[in-house]
Amino acid sequence: MALEIVVMVKQVPDSQEVVIDPVTMNLNRSLTRNVTNKADENALEAALQLRDEVGGHVTVVSMGPPQAESTMIECLARGADRAILVSDRFFGGADTYPTGLTVASAISKLEKVDVIFAGEESSDSSTGHVGPGVAEFLGMEQATYVSSVKYADGFIIAERELEDGTEVIKMPTPVLLTILLNANVPRRQTLKRKIAATKQGYEVWNLEKLGMPPEWVGVRGSPTIVRKMRPIKEKERAAKRFEIDQIPDLVRELFEIGALKLEEMQ
Amino acid sequence: MTGLKNAKAVENTDDYRNVFVFLEVREGKFLRSALEMIGVGRDIARKVNEKLVCLILGNNISKLADEAVEYGADLVLGAESPDLEEFRTLPYTSIVSDWVLKEKPNIFLIPASRNGRDLASRIAVKCQAGVTADCTELDIEHDTRILSANRPTYGESMLAEILCRKHRPQMATARPGIFKVPEKSRSENPEIRISKVKVDKSLKTKEIIEFRKKEKVDLSAAKIIVSGGLGLGKAEGFKALEKLAKTIGGEVGASRPAADLGWISRDHQVGQTGQTVRPRLYIAAGISGKIQHIMGMKNSENILAINIDPNAEIVTYSDYVIVGDVKDVIPRLQKEIDSYRKEHSGKKESKIASAS
Ligand SMILES: Cc1cc2nc3c(=O)[nH]c(=O)nc-3n(C[C@H](O)[C@H](O)[C@H](O)COP(=O)(O)OP(=O)(O)OC[C@H]3O[C@@H](n4cnc5c(N)ncnc54)[C@H](O)[C@@H]3O)c2cc1C
Repeated sequence: MALEIVVMVKQVPDSQEVVIDPVTMNLNRSLTRNVTNKADENALEAALQLRDEVGGHVTVVSMGPPQAESTMIECLARGADRAILVSDRFFGGADTYPTGLTVASAISKLEKVDVIFAGEESSDSSTGHVGPGVAEFLGMEQATYVSSVKYADGFIIAERELEDGTEVIKMPTPVLLTILLNANVPRRQTLKRKIAATKQGYEVWNLEKLGMPPEWVGVRGSPTIVRKMRPIKEKERAAKRFEIDQIPDLVRELFEIGALKLEEMQ
Repeated sequence: MTGLKNAKAVENTDDYRNVFVFLEVREGKFLRSALEMIGVGRDIARKVNEKLVCLILGNNISKLADEAVEYGADLVLGAESPDLEEFRTLPYTSIVSDWVLKEKPNIFLIPASRNGRDLASRIAVKCQAGVTADCTELDIEHDTRILSANRPTYGESMLAEILCRKHRPQMATARPGIFKVPEKSRSENPEIRISKVKVDKSLKTKEIIEFRKKEKVDLSAAKIIVSGGLGLGKAEGFKALEKLAKTIGGEVGASRPAADLGWISRDHQVGQTGQTVRPRLYIAAGISGKIQHIMGMKNSENILAINIDPNAEIVTYSDYVIVGDVKDVIPRLQKEIDSYRKEHSGKKESKIASAS
């Protein structure tokens, strides 16, 4: 059976070189390079592996501004069959709710979906809420924080990494899986594939295509707002300096302030 | 209730009262985050004279409900079924969102653990509400009863304050290890409502075939942590740290590269991708103090850095610094602590004797 697979991807500012505008306290987007969210590359790789094994198609769906073009081409060059950029000025400023709604709406327009992949979270907002949100909008089963995926006879068998161990779970399709950062090694884009990808191109879907009211999406459709941003101030610490020969003084002080306690010693 | 629907502003926010907290249960016991949620939820609820409502799902939960009451729950809503023994997205979402839609809480806090986030995202959509992820500071504005949800952003360099003005409940997930475990404080008229539920077959699509438990050191509860980094030079460096930690009643921690090299197992790692800790004393030996490490330990009460470099970044985050080579410093520290103990353990007894 061939699987129809969707991968949710996002273009994000390169976390290695984030520049904060000292006046607005916001990201200076003009100085920051954009890249594909790393965990989404792992999600795409997991999707491609599944397709290569079972057969089917991989469609990449991304909500973002026009410059996300480079991410769309990159996903095609890595081996995706189709790429859809959901883009419209109405989508700007969305929090996780309308982002999930917009992506879910686009996915619901596809003829058939068996498995949806997403990265565990995006490096710029780090919520991990959009993937599961999409699953809820579409009424689907989900597994988050997945490190490996297998498919057999209509079922996905996945390993899910929790704080205290690994869950091995089995679910029928359709299902949404969020893939851990570094869960696999994404395949490279070759020059040949890149040329083919550019030639093939990607689709752009706007709000009209989705047919949703404009007040449902973007900043107007967002229940949360950022009131303010402030630098995180760390507690001032004295950094009282001791040379090796002063260690006895330090030890005495640590006991006196109660940082060390005789009754806790073994 | 599924379908493509928008986030819906509520007509009258005054209809929404009380603070819901989701208490995470693993293997029949509360996770530490459960008590942290009670602590922060209780503070918020008492500030505006509202009820703290604790949600517990599991198989046998009556003891857990009693424990929540000891810590200050005004109301416990419980659901019991063998099918709820382990966390599964669909049944948990269904039961919890039913409670939310019926009881109309003003605020709903969930731990930002992996299962907590898995759940919170779905509840928010199901209840057409807003959710702020991974908060490290939470407060309520007295007059408006609006939740001030603060979360680190841009690689932990900035704190964003996020509000949800018109949608209810105001949901937030709270980063584990940040909020304090509260003292016990029983409420005046606590109420416990536990119902036995039957989980519908349509919600039982996820089968957990196996769970492979990690042997885990829980650093989040440690009073003292002695951590080592690349400055230890080799795996053997941790031997001396283990000895020191044992003497002073602490646990051993590590930087990520030390764990990457296999000098110590991953479950000792402190930081962004390890554990978040807040001991009374944190000793960082041969750790440079990169932000990803700092994030995991900066709330420690006292920080002692041991570093050969007097200008290492860790210094500005430290209360005390010993400048020197760990190979010399650790044995000396061990020796001085041992001799302090020898000198004072006698005295301490006499102090107790004279006090009585
Ligand atoms: C996404 C991401 C997540 C990360 N998560 C984590 C995390 O959770 N935890 C974490 O720790 N790191 C994390 N890191 C890595 C982090 O950026 C640093 O690389 C790491 O913390 C450095 O470890 P270190 O201090 O042990 O090593 P180094 O930075 O190499 O520092 C070694 C220190 O030892 C000192 N030293 C050397 N020799 C001696 C000696 N003989 N005696 C005394 N001092 C000596 C040096 O002066 C130096 O300060 C993460 C990185 C990324 C990109």
